[in-house]
Amino acid sequence: MSSVATNADSYSSTGRWERAVPVYGFPLVNGFFLGLSALVLVAFVLTGYRELAGLGPVSGMNDAYGWGIWKTFNVMVLTALGSGAFAVGIAAWVFRRKRLHSLMRMALLTSFLAYACGLLLLGIDAGRPWNFYWIVFPWKWNMHSPLAEVAICMSIYAMIPLALENIPPLLERLWYFDSRLRPGVERMERRLYAGFPWIIAAAYLLPGMHQSSLGALMLLAGERVHPLWQSPWLPLLYLGAATFMSFGCVAGTTMLCCLVWKRAMDMDVLDDAAQITAWLIFGWLGLRLLDILFRGALLTAFRVDRFAGVFWLEMVLVGIGGWLLRRSLRDHDARLMFIGYVLSSAGGMIYRFSPTTLAFRPNPEALYFPATIEILVSLGFISLGVLGFLVAVKRLAILPAPLHEWHDMASYFRFRRPYIRWTGYFKHGYFGENETEAENSD
Amino acid sequence: MPITRRELITGVAKVGAPAAIVVTLGKDALKTEPIPVPNAAVGLLYDATICIGCKACVAACAEANNTPPDTRGDALHQAPSDLNDVTRNVIKLYKPDDGSAFSFVKRQCMHCLDPACAAGCPFQALHKDPETGVVSWTADKCIGCRYCTITCPFHIPRFQWAGFNPRVTKCEFCSHRLEKGLKPGCTSVCPTGAVIFGPRPVLLLEAKRRIQSSPGRYFQNRVYGELDNGGTQALYLSHVPFEKLGLPELGPESVPARTLRWQRRFYQYFALPALLYAGLVQVIRKSLKGHEQEAHEREKETGLRAQL
Ligand code: SF4
Ligand code: SF4
Ligand code: SF4
Repeated sequence: MSSVATNADSYSSTGRWERAVPVYGFPLVNGFFLGLSALVLVAFVLTGYRELAGLGPVSGMNDAYGWGIWKTFNVMVLTALGSGAFAVGIAAWVFRRKRLHSLMRMALLTSFLAYACGLLLLGIDAGRPWNFYWIVFPWKWNMHSPLAEVAICMSIYAMIPLALENIPPLLERLWYFDSRLRPGVERMERRLYAGFPWIIAAAYLLPGMHQSSLGALMLLAGERVHPLWQSPWLPLLYLGAATFMSFGCVAGTTMLCCLVWKRAMDMDVLDDAAQITAWLIFGWLGLRLLDILFRGALLTAFRVDRFAGVFWLEMVLVGIGGWLLRRSLRDHDARLMFIGYVLSSAGGMIYRFSPTTLAFRPNPEALYFPATIEILVSLGFISLGVLGFLVAVKRLAILPAPLHEWHDMASYFRFRRPYIRWTGYFKHGYFGENETEAENSD
Repeated sequence: MPITRRELITGVAKVGAPAAIVVTLGKDALKTEPIPVPNAAVGLLYDATICIGCKACVAACAEANNTPPDTRGDALHQAPSDLNDVTRNVIKLYKPDDGSAFSFVKRQCMHCLDPACAAGCPFQALHKDPETGVVSWTADKCIGCRYCTITCPFHIPRFQWAGFNPRVTKCEFCSHRLEKGLKPGCTSVCPTGAVIFGPRPVLLLEAKRRIQSSPGRYFQNRVYGELDNGGTQALYLSHVPFEKLGLPELGPESVPARTLRWQRRFYQYFALPALLYAGLVQVIRKSLKGHEQEAHEREKETGLRAQL
């Protein structure tokens, strides 16, 4: 106990995020959890039906709109929200905004879940998924196809660098679970960290490539995408939208979790993130407006039609979101900040959704509206991601917290739930305090 | 240890200098190369001024390709309303409301010299034959992504929406008949000679001869497909504007060459991504060292195991 006593200052309840701590004291299974599980179950059943019946009977897709929300929302939009491991990671590791490291585990987890669910749905959306096996023969790839780039790069990214980056919290849990596992865990950690520079660098290169290729997808559609969106800069704008949206997703989700599970917010870190996000937003808005101006498409924004409407909705949401984020910095106002994140991400989501759907005009008569089954499957896979998130934050050290939370968790399990041994952070009443130094320092 | 300005600049310079060289060196090679016309390029010439809209070619196409008759229109006749999962060839009517000249149009794959459908297809399921130039579909390589239905500027490939084993349907120039020395189905039945088959250069000459012998008869006195979209192997003559027949004005540069130029340049030989990767590894290695050190110092202070 001595080490705790000598560090009384860090024990005090400042809001400084020091350590990722599992959410404790809240049951994993509650009404919300069961509701999500039901949605997932429904989606699984409907997926089975889709595999037998084909795409036509379950979706609103047609010859004109070959892509529905599974691709255009669950992949195009949600992986942009899930680019936190990329955007926050680059800020923390490449530009060394050190305090952002406390958000990294959240970023990595949300990214992994968004990508995993996106990839699953990509497989379900494919009409002939069994032919995906060509992915293991690089000489069969069509290297110039943006779609090949997306499919290959995304799967590699999610399955290798991103998955590896998510391993430390799991190893940590094993380490606390049983002291007999520790030498093995430490050996694995050493090996993992030795490879980290290569893994992390790949984890930035690959999303940079496929998030921009997602934009490049619609380049080939040419004039059929409305001129407010169709642009040679589409890849860069898609990537840019992914960066600010994912900051919004990571910081916003963290704030929401703090609110729900009554954690202190570290306004230092959040201010830092909000500031970066605001700059990303203004840079993106500037690029987008300049691009429209120089291509001479600005006039189409002042017509009275649905395209102009969508365009202004997008710009206003992102713009107000960015302004609120800057405004929130003045007196560290978490509420304004959160609204800013929500608005800017919503605007970004519409932007990422538009070129394939709202601004796609294959011919004047064609219409697309997702069918009920399509929406249910889409929702089900989003629920699967949320379920994964709930399980992870309640069982693993993901959510950042002040140091005292860790000790509070220790006493919670020691005195209130002494019979719970499977949390992984409870072993013989020790939470890492008073461990022999020799074991920890590698 | 925030990244210093100097480190950033040197890092960028280290990565950027060779990158710039690669891009500039590669520039000439990547300039819009003229699209090669395959040696034995076959073609179709469709003359809308001769076509009488009898649809014999539609029936012949279905027969040649063994596709079931599409009777979804009136449950009685083979009357496809457009290209679809069982229709590779269709005759459509353009009839303006103001009573001016009307025209039939035959729609099938144009067999572009630089096909956008093949440029986007991830595992080369759509492939242009280097000899004959026929763009055909291979079931074994298609993942059913339907990207081809979005990329094709003429909106030709159609996806089969029903069933667990969907196929992509498009005109494949009856390549199974060509192998046997036969002409494609549609060209072998046309009663008026509105659609004829032959080597592309010959057809091009024939089209130009027709334009020359009756000047003013054809729209803009030009052959659609000679240069449009980088050139196509199906050629069109018409008396009404091509756009009205669903043949958009795409300009002489092919869609893939025009839109994917930067994409192609960036991924050329994978040189730029590789350089970027090397630079990232350097920076992150240093960050990681600093981060680990701090984490372990903090571990000593708090007595809690470091979290990286
Ligand atoms: S017309 Fe369409 S389907 Fe045919 S080769 Fe050209 S791009 Fe491909
Ligand atoms: S649906 Fe098939 S043929 Fe069309 S682009 Fe996708 S893989 Fe290629
Ligand atoms: S067979 Fe000849 S005339 Fe008849 S519709 Fe076809 S192209 Fe026209």
